[in-house]
Parts: sequence; structure tokens; C-alpha cells
Amino acid sequence: MLRFFISFFSSLFQMMIHILTTKKHIIQNVLSIYIKTTGGNISIDIDPKCDVSHIKKMVAPQIGLQPEELKVIFAGKELGDDIIIEECDLGQQSILHVVKIKPGNVQSKISASSTPNSKTLMPLCESLDDLMFSASSGSRTASISIGNETSTSDSLLDEIEVVANNEKSKPKKVHFYVYCPTCKKLTQGKLRVRCHFCKSGAFTVHSDPQNWSHVLESKQITGTCENDSEFCENILQNKEPTFAEFYFKCSEHISLGENDQAVPLDLIRPNLRQLQCLACFEITETIFSFPCEDDHVTCLDCFEAYCKAKLSDRQFWQHPEYGYTLACPSGCANSFIKEIHHFRLLDDEHYERYHRFATEEFVLQSGGLLCPQPGCGMGILADPECIRITCQNCKYVFCRNCLQGYHIGSCDPPEIQETSGTSGDCGTELNCDNRNGAGDDASRTTIKVITKPCPSCKTPTERDGGCMHMVCTRAGCQFHWCWVCQTEWTRECMGDHWFG
Amino acid sequence: MANIAAQRIKREFKEVIRSEEVAKCAIKLDLVDNNYTELRGEIAGPPDTAYEGGNFVLEIKVPETYPFNPPKVRFITKIWHPNISSVTGAICLDILKDQWAAAMTLRTVLLSLQALLSAAEPDDPQDAVVARQYKENVEMFRLTARHWTNAYAGGPNANPECDEKIKRLVDMGIEEHQARVALSSYNWDLERATEQLFS
Repeated sequence: MLRFFISFFSSLFQMMIHILTTKKHIIQNVLSIYIKTTGGNISIDIDPKCDVSHIKKMVAPQIGLQPEELKVIFAGKELGDDIIIEECDLGQQSILHVVKIKPGNVQSKISASSTPNSKTLMPLCESLDDLMFSASSGSRTASISIGNETSTSDSLLDEIEVVANNEKSKPKKVHFYVYCPTCKKLTQGKLRVRCHFCKSGAFTVHSDPQNWSHVLESKQITGTCENDSEFCENILQNKEPTFAEFYFKCSEHISLGENDQAVPLDLIRPNLRQLQCLACFEITETIFSFPCEDDHVTCLDCFEAYCKAKLSDRQFWQHPEYGYTLACPSGCANSFIKEIHHFRLLDDEHYERYHRFATEEFVLQSGGLLCPQPGCGMGILADPECIRITCQNCKYVFCRNCLQGYHIGSCDPPEIQETSGTSGDCGTELNCDNRNGAGDDASRTTIKVITKPCPSCKTPTERDGGCMHMVCTRAGCQFHWCWVCQTEWTRECMGDHWFG
Repeated sequence: MANIAAQRIKREFKEVIRSEEVAKCAIKLDLVDNNYTELRGEIAGPPDTAYEGGNFVLEIKVPETYPFNPPKVRFITKIWHPNISSVTGAICLDILKDQWAAAMTLRTVLLSLQALLSAAEPDDPQDAVVARQYKENVEMFRLTARHWTNAYAGGPNANPECDEKIKRLVDMGIEEHQARVALSSYNWDLERATEQLFS
């Protein structure tokens, strides 16, 4: 009897374990996605191994249509019936768009799905991967040849050729890199597309983007908007094309909805051509590719080191269009980094400093001033005629010309005190943080004693040897001045007291 | 020291050691410390210049921010050149300042300095006295530079006349280098040099 009970319970126990494990197995494989239809949103759980026709069958009854009348759109492409969901890079909580096929389009739809090559209906991000890595295998030769004719140095297709030559090696997946504001870090991004006008994701592109400018600039790629917005309907009726708008999502966290976007960092790329970092000479998997003609790249560590080095010397440039930015470390012409979100790669402390310097530089270049009071450093935009400046933040009242406490009459003559200079270059900026008043009283005194302000931007400058010809080290100022006269450098200075 | 700088210098060091210039004895590079922050360079005076036959030793200090900022280089060997301070050995060369680019290496620096010895730029001087002599009396400049090369860099071309004048000042109790500087600055006019030294 006892034996019977024991065997009964043990078999029961095993069954329970079996049920539990299989149930767990099922749970792991469920993909929860949203289906967006003209009628509203439907949430469904699907097995990633099922195909698109299965989704149609699930959704059709809920919106009162036949599966054949539906079209499933994801990332700029209509998905063919036989596409397996797993292949589409669909994350949890992703949104698929289901629309009713418009009567005029039925014919084209049938012909498309009846062709054996229905893989052309893969979502955009996937087909781009295909495009990049199966270039030599044929099915998409038309679009590739177009791409090659138009390929530029930053073309995505540059990389295709290399990989095509290297067919035997295991194909790597192309990654887009983004700065994700939710994860607060560099992540891999997923390319998505929507209608330029109505912002609806129920949108199919007419051609794949061939290079970064197609993706980043607006109105580059045409498409068809399947959303029933009035505006897009009008455009369609006039037989005008609508345009695709590309954006990116972070691939690391579960989608938080349609507005959950990430900033594309287009200069960070997979190192498909095995380029060497110009700073440390290593070949890394991911590189920072500077926008210069010589294709200079650095590894991401060296990019960070480069930013930090230039930041501590205040050598970033205030570019009129792009903002506070850097150029290629090899000094190439026209190589400024356009998307300043790349500087998000810096750690919090340095990014905060980047932000502060950028603001200060902007204030200075707009003809403004920074409050000289320690611990303040408030940016002030005052009337250029006004000499007596009051800081709105700390209430310090100071003279615009000498940045000392406000006084009546002319400014005190600058104190002439020689430095105990060591040998070195002309014009070294002593303490860039002084402008923000970060220094204590002792260092403030030191700065006062051993430095002279640049006559143009007032940056405290130390001369540690060399000649009297000073060049302001602050990027954006670079004023040539005379250490003796404390005015602009002239031929008279050169003849009279070049070397003191 | 930042890892990137050390790693990079390690590679560059190897590059220089294996380069054909080293094989031809035109440049040389030694480590001063084990953590790659300080090196000692050496360049041979270029042929057909006043510096021919001399070996010039350089102090190279690698900043933490290398290669995004240039290395700090100065001549340890005393040299008579418009772009190099005869007092401190400080160098006025654009690539060591604002024209530095991260793709440059210690090898390119050494070769650029060698090129600077062949082609001085008196309009962008580091040493005003030498620059003036170069512009006003280039023959006198060559003679002086050759003499300094012989005296400090092991150059083969001794100038008995210069040596004699220096000896006379040394006999008067002047330190040899001081005497050489004074004579060089006054175009080897013994009278004026003496006057300046005793004034």
C-alpha cells in the first residue's frame, strides 16, 4: 500500500514537473506584439515560429475582414505570407501594421506573393542586412547595381563589396548604432520607417535606402502611405509619391511604443573593412569613422580619449551649424562631426563638462559674458554699451572690461609679474575651470599672479617660456597677442621686444 | 599614464627600431623609463649642411593625452639654429604645436626635425640672435653652426680660428660655453664679445 502511494506520488510529482517545464518552455517562446489597424490596436501573443499568414488569420476575424484582404506591414515593407516572424527581428511589444488592401492594389499584391521570390517582402531592416551581405547571390542585383553607381564614401554599399569578396567567411549582421535615451548608452539600433507626412508606420518604401544620406536626410526615398489620413489620401489621389521618414529604435530594451526613438550615431560603424585605429593602431570590431576624405577611423576607446583630451584643452569648436564639435584628429579639412550626440559616448562627468563648455562657448560667441565670481559662471547677455554688469544669478556687480568688481574710472593697469617660467611653448592656458569659478581662493590668487588675460577673450594665460608672441589657446579665439603690451601682436612688438 | 599613449608609443618604438632610417643610422630612439613616458631620440646632422657629421640628442616627453596632443621635444645637444633655442633647446616647429595630427608618429617627428636642420625657417624663429645672423650673414651663420656641431655634437669639422678665440676668453677666466655664446652672437668679433662679457 505504502509502495503504491510512493509510486503514485512520485509519478504525480514527475508529471507536475513535466507540466511545469513544458509550460515554461511555452512561455519563453511567446512573443507579445501589437497589431495596429485602422480600427484600433489589438494585442496578440504569437509563436515566433509561425508565419505571417497565421497572423492574418488571427487578426482578420477581430476586425471583420477576410485574411486575404489584409496586408501586414513592418518596417517599411509588406510582409509576404510565408515569412516566419522569427526572421523579422521583431522584439517584444513591437507594432505590426495591418491594413486592408485597397481594391486597386489587389492585383499587384497577388502577383507579388505568387512569385517564388517572395523574400523581397522582408522588413526593411532585414532586407538591408540581406542587401549588404548576399550581394553576389543574385536575387537583388538590380538594386545593387543602382547602388554601386551612386555609392559615395559613406555608402553602406562600400562594405558590401568587401564582404562579397569574402563570401566564405560567416556573414556578420550589419548593425546600426544609436544613443538610447532610455538605456542611457550606446546600443545597437533597429531601422524603422514611417510616413513623412502623417507619421504612420503603415507605410511601404518603393526602394531601399542605399546610403546614410538616404536615411538621415528627409524626402530621399519615396513610398506608399497605407494610413487613411486625409492628407496622404489626397497625395495618393494626385498620384504624387509620399516620402519615407527613417528613424531608429534601441534593440536592447522592450519597445515603449511608437515614440520610443533612439538617435542614430551614423559615424559609429561595424569595422567591416578591418581598418586600423589611427591612434592605437588596433583593429577593433566597432569603429568611429570620421567624416573625412581619407576615411580615418579610431576605436571607440580612442575616440573617448580624444574627446577628453580636447575637452580639457577647450579645443572643441563652436561650429555655426553643428554646434560644439570636433574634427578628425588628423586635421583633415571639412571633417567636423555633424551629429553631436556622438559625444554622448563620454561618461557623465565629461559629458556634463562638454555641455557646460558648449554653453559657455555659445554665450561668448554671441557676444555675451560669463560671471567671473567663483562658483557662479553664469552666462550673461548684456547690452554691449553697458560696462556695469550685474549677474542675475549671484548678484555680483562687475566691470565688463576687466572682469573685476565694478569701479568708476579706468581699469587698474594689469599687474606685471613675471612667471618662474619653465621652457615650453608660447601661450599655455593655465586653468580652464577658472572661468567657472571652480578654483578656491589660493588657486585664484595663483592664477592672478602668474597669468595675463587674453586681450580678446580674457582667458587667463600663462607663459611658460618661449617668445612674447602669444596665441590664445581657446579654440574659437586664437587671438595673436603680445605678452608685454597685452594688445594685439604687431610688427612693432616683433622688432622691439619679440624675445623680451 | 593613459593606456592608449603607452600602447601607441610601444608600437611606434618598434616601428622606429625596424625602420630603414635606423638601419642607415640617420635616427635613433631609446627608452628612458619603462612606462614609455620619456624617450631619448637622436638624429644625425643631414649631409651637405653645417650639421653634417654631428649627432644631436633629443629629449622626448610623451603627454598622457598622446597621440591627440604632440610629444614635448627639445634638443639636449646644444645647437646653433634659428628655430632652436641655443639656451634651452626649445624647438619652434609647427607640427610640435598646432599643426600636430594624431596620425603622426615619433618617426615622422624625428624625420621632420632632421628636415628642419636642412631647411631653417628664419621668419619663424625660436632664437632671435641666431635668426638675425642667418638673415644678415649666412656665411657667418654656417661657420658658427659648424663650429657648434664640432664642439657639442661630435662633428668632424673643427675650426682652429674659433677654438683659438674661445681659448683666449677662457684664459681670461670666462666659462667655455659662455665664451662661445658671446663670440657666436658677435660674429666672432673677439673685441665686442669681450666687451659684452665684462660689461
